[in-house]
Amino acid sequence: MEDKTKKALIDIVGEENYTDNLIDLISYSKDASEHRHRPDAAVWPATAEEISAILKLANKDRFPVVPRGAGTSLAGLAVPEKGGVILDLVRMNKIISVSVTDRLAIVQPGVVYADLERALAPHDFFFPPDPASGTVATLGGNVATNAGGIKGAKYGTTKDYVLALQIVLPDGRVMRTGSKCMKSSSGYDLTKLFVGSEGTLGVVTEITLKINPKPSLTSTAMATFEDLEDAGRAVSEIMHSGILPSALEVVDQQTLIAINQNTDLNLPEVEAILIAETDGHTREETQFQLNKVIEIFKKNNASTVKQAATKEEAEALWTARKSAYAVMSRINNSLAVEDLSVPMSKVPNILKALSDLAKKYDLKIPTVGHAGDGNLHPTISYDGTNPDEVKRVEQASAELFEKVIELGGTLTGEHGIGLAKAPFMHLEHDPVAMDVMRSIKKSFDPNNILNPGKMALEG
Amino acid sequence: MEAKYDFERKYRDQVLRCSNCGFCRAVCPVFGTTLRPAYNARGKMLILKEVMDGTIDLNDELIETLFQCTTCAACAESCPSGVNVPDIIKQVRKDMVNIGSCHPAFKGMNEVLKNHTNIYAEDEPEDFERERNKKAEYVYFIGCVGSFREDEATLETLDLLDRLNVDYTLIDEVCCSGVLEDVGYEINEDLVKKNIDLILATGAKTVITGCPYCSRTFINKPQYAGLEENGIKVLHITQFLNDFDFGVTTDKLVTYHDPCDLGRHCGIYEEPREIIRKIAPNFVELRHNRVDSLCCGAGGGVRGAYAKNSIAMARRRLEEVEEVGAEVVLTECNSCVHNLANAKLRKQKFKIYNISQFVNELMEEAE
Ligand SMILES: Cc1cc2nc3c(=O)[nH]c(=O)nc-3n(C[C@H](O)[C@H](O)[C@H](O)COP(=O)(O)OP(=O)(O)OC[C@H]3O[C@@H](n4cnc5c(N)ncnc54)[C@H](O)[C@@H]3O)c2cc1C
Repeated sequence: MEDKTKKALIDIVGEENYTDNLIDLISYSKDASEHRHRPDAAVWPATAEEISAILKLANKDRFPVVPRGAGTSLAGLAVPEKGGVILDLVRMNKIISVSVTDRLAIVQPGVVYADLERALAPHDFFFPPDPASGTVATLGGNVATNAGGIKGAKYGTTKDYVLALQIVLPDGRVMRTGSKCMKSSSGYDLTKLFVGSEGTLGVVTEITLKINPKPSLTSTAMATFEDLEDAGRAVSEIMHSGILPSALEVVDQQTLIAINQNTDLNLPEVEAILIAETDGHTREETQFQLNKVIEIFKKNNASTVKQAATKEEAEALWTARKSAYAVMSRINNSLAVEDLSVPMSKVPNILKALSDLAKKYDLKIPTVGHAGDGNLHPTISYDGTNPDEVKRVEQASAELFEKVIELGGTLTGEHGIGLAKAPFMHLEHDPVAMDVMRSIKKSFDPNNILNPGKMALEG
Repeated sequence: MEAKYDFERKYRDQVLRCSNCGFCRAVCPVFGTTLRPAYNARGKMLILKEVMDGTIDLNDELIETLFQCTTCAACAESCPSGVNVPDIIKQVRKDMVNIGSCHPAFKGMNEVLKNHTNIYAEDEPEDFERERNKKAEYVYFIGCVGSFREDEATLETLDLLDRLNVDYTLIDEVCCSGVLEDVGYEINEDLVKKNIDLILATGAKTVITGCPYCSRTFINKPQYAGLEENGIKVLHITQFLNDFDFGVTTDKLVTYHDPCDLGRHCGIYEEPREIIRKIAPNFVELRHNRVDSLCCGAGGGVRGAYAKNSIAMARRRLEEVEEVGAEVVLTECNSCVHNLANAKLRKQKFKIYNISQFVNELMEEAE
């Protein structure tokens, strides 16, 4: 960082909110992916005005600026690949207002998902996307990645709840998009353009979210399947039965084996487990839906079906799904968490392809995921210090992406492209679509200041 | 490549296993106060990875984060990858001290304990108006903070033991020196020997400690194995008091702060609550309780070295007390009492006590 740039940054945010200390640069060199690169400096701005001044300076002095929430991205989105300045939004963590009457919450981008959840709970409201990283991930990060979670099939993802944004554009202008209304057909949908834009088009400085009344009751059941195909058929049958479970998750055999090898949970090592949750306001309502789900489980040869009678029992049924990441992250020193999505009917095909790839490349590829919306997380735990193994992981991933696209799927259901999937963008998006994306990037950010190197936008 | 430092020899796998998920942000008291990722466990592990990779070396620039950890173990408890950060940090601090990189406050503590018998270098021991070093069934071991900073609280605890007709004695105790192991040095064998000799001379079969940190040190540090070898049991005062009925209650809304040394480090969550249940039917838990308790900011040498942040951590904890509207905060650790009391704002009307002190006051009022 040149002295004059450093001085200018300090003039904007103040001495105490600027750093180029080694310890900070290292802490900003990584997110939850395996990518790593240090920034040259970091700032902790507190207002849109400060961010605007920083971006104007960045355009003048030509340095990259990378917005950052909690740095939990699993695909390298938050890694400052080209150095520059990290814009850590952690200080912009105010919940500005909650209006139950208008079903709105207005927040700053650094608010942690769980803090909003806590603020909404007394009103019996919630913001449904529910990412598994919700105790730490920020709402700004959720917006920039279009985060989702286990409730996706019924409640959708972040994009379905973002009504309006305040954005600081790369040239420093501040823009408001959208409205506080539940519906609007007014002009281009600029709000949606920024949802999932991975910090490449603008910095989100205020978010207006639609919030939902929270159903007070849930019912939960778990089924085991000896045959993966049966589980797959059960999923698609449930999803077109007219019942919309609030969660429908799958845990595959490799995951169950990995969990058993590393814990004393002693789970049945069947080809697949499905866990379904239904929600509503009366017990009859949740049970009616769950009965239908259980009926379909049985019809498709579930070997066992268990319904939870109490909250504790429900939690126990979730154990296999919820301990997966912890188990996988302990097995070895490196982790590749994939995030593919396929049309629901193709879930068995992709699970089969994963098992073939695991054999071909001598890897273990346990998979869990949101079966109800076809979004799966194959997770490879590997030795990142072994070049041969790293190569096999890379080859298997590349082949996996081809297969996903062949099945009509998408590279990422909720984590985003970032660095990890940038080389595969062309598989999913045709040259015209890539060209349009690049022109959008150019028209907002001609000097490629914001989060450069991501999403294959540089062609 | 040959490992350069002991932390790498002992903990390489764990440092590598940190998957950088960042979930420790939710629980780290230092991060929660400073909002600076470099101070979070993930930040610390990333730094150690670079040291192991050889891209940086341990040096003075790293003191600010590696020595700024209360070793509260909240991160270890919630870590999906099972990384025991406090153990790693304690080892790295030793490696840092070995190469001459150390926070002056930590170095000072080691120097003080070479020449004095307690961390405050107080040469006039409090006598607490009681005979010391006599024959008794129990030794009551106060600890440095209880002896020199929270002596009023200690007096009340001793009064309670008297009221309960406990046959105990104080000794000319010296610092257990366990803390030195946390701040980069080795436990002080001279001090250890002095404590063990004094305890054995009383003929007591049980040591009751007021300080949970001293309990941990006596129970876990091999240097104190002499206690167990001589059939001496070590109890924290909450474990000891749990067997008594006090015959007094309060109507006040009471809450409890789990000290990290008692809770996460010793697994003692229920005994203090059982005591409180007997005296305070009107009880409310803090948002972060038991294994999720939020550190008061005093541990791991942080209060001495980073006083401002330490107090700010205590303030965050006290915000949770305001949240539940409690009138009384009980805990049973003089370090916690001391730091929380220092952090309390004038507008905060609740009172902070050790459980034993509070029970004593209730009994006194009832007389
Ligand atoms: C164990 C684990 C489980 C996870 N589970 C889920 C899950 O269930 N569902 C899911 O969707 N994701 C999940 N994730 C991924 C991750 O948590 C999400 O992508 C999350 O939305 C990222 O939020 P963050 O605050 O950490 O953002 P960061 O990682 O800091 O940033 C992510 C991207 O957002 C951009 N960004 C951040 N803030 C702003 C802003 N204010 N303006 C503009 N751009 C911004 C950054 O530049 C970057 O490109 C998981 C991650 C982990 C480690």
